[in-house]
Amino acid sequence: MAAETVLPPGLENGPTDEELVASTLKGDLGAYDELIRRFQGRLYGVIYHLTSNHEDTNDLLMEVFDKAYRSLPTFRGQSSFYTWIYRIAINRSFNFLDKRKRRQGAMSLNELDEEGLPKLDLADLSPQNNPNKSIMLNELQNKLNESMLKLSKEHRTVVTLFDIQGLAHSEIAKIMGCTEGTVRSRLHYAHKQLQKSLGIYLKR
Amino acid sequence: MSEKQDFSELQKLLRLKRLETPGPEYFDRFVDAFHVYQRREILQDKPWYANLGALLLEPWFAGLPRLAPVAASCALLLAGVAVFLGPLSQGSGHLADGKVAHPRGIVVASVQSGQSTEIQPELIDTAAGGDASELRPLYVNGHGAVAYDSRLAF
Repeated sequence: MAAETVLPPGLENGPTDEELVASTLKGDLGAYDELIRRFQGRLYGVIYHLTSNHEDTNDLLMEVFDKAYRSLPTFRGQSSFYTWIYRIAINRSFNFLDKRKRRQGAMSLNELDEEGLPKLDLADLSPQNNPNKSIMLNELQNKLNESMLKLSKEHRTVVTLFDIQGLAHSEIAKIMGCTEGTVRSRLHYAHKQLQKSLGIYLKR
Repeated sequence: MSEKQDFSELQKLLRLKRLETPGPEYFDRFVDAFHVYQRREILQDKPWYANLGALLLEPWFAGLPRLAPVAASCALLLAGVAVFLGPLSQGSGHLADGKVAHPRGIVVASVQSGQSTEIQPELIDTAAGGDASELRPLYVNGHGAVAYDSRLAF
């Protein structure tokens, strides 16, 4: 049941993250740009699947890289840079979600994605230009987002990291600062909830 | 595994969310956009207390009066700390060369702003950390304390 690991191209080549961190600390700003390029896609995904809003994701992503850059001198290498920056992204997203909940109450789905950045629509997947299929795919996309937003932020995070981003349980545990058992139990609960709300779209 | 616990179809569906991402042109531009953002942030860098008002008033804005006493207590506590620390220039003596003798007996440089004289607390700590015989005057460059070096004087 393991999810596929999605690594951006070129990650295996060139200097390691830790080497780039060391170069950045020596004043090589190009090294930090390289770190941004390595993580921008994955962190965008994490933040977006937590917030369901592209504009907020863009702002938060900037904040995350800025915060990480400023905190780099305190990065002691006890965990990998990868775990560390993921943790920053998740903490920032959680703070944002708490603030949004306090200020606006539960967010209407209509507010999500409307002014977001251009995205690849699920309808583009349709092999034939079938309007009925497009409508169904859009509906499915909305339903997916709606179901994800019904989960608590912790459950949504494990689903995002495991099912969408393809991280292993152990990596998720490190990022979220909990045990693998907790990750598995959250995942199981989240899957059950999602299965319940998305049941009609699933093959039996 | 029972049918109820088979989440493979659900997982396939969730993988569709990987496609909800901006196009490559967004990521191509992101580093440049980040540099612009960072420069703007540096220019607008505010001291830690600048956001204090918003932080304390947030419970009211959020319509959560139950947090109001907490915010009020924090405000009182901070006011108390501010009074306790007090303006350092009080009780300091002005020396003829424009430097200031602090009550701790340390001679530090001062920043003249209008009629008042301000001493940066970090200057005192820096000065206090050294040997008295090596105590050198300090200057402020607007961002923080820097040990005075005659070669750098301007």
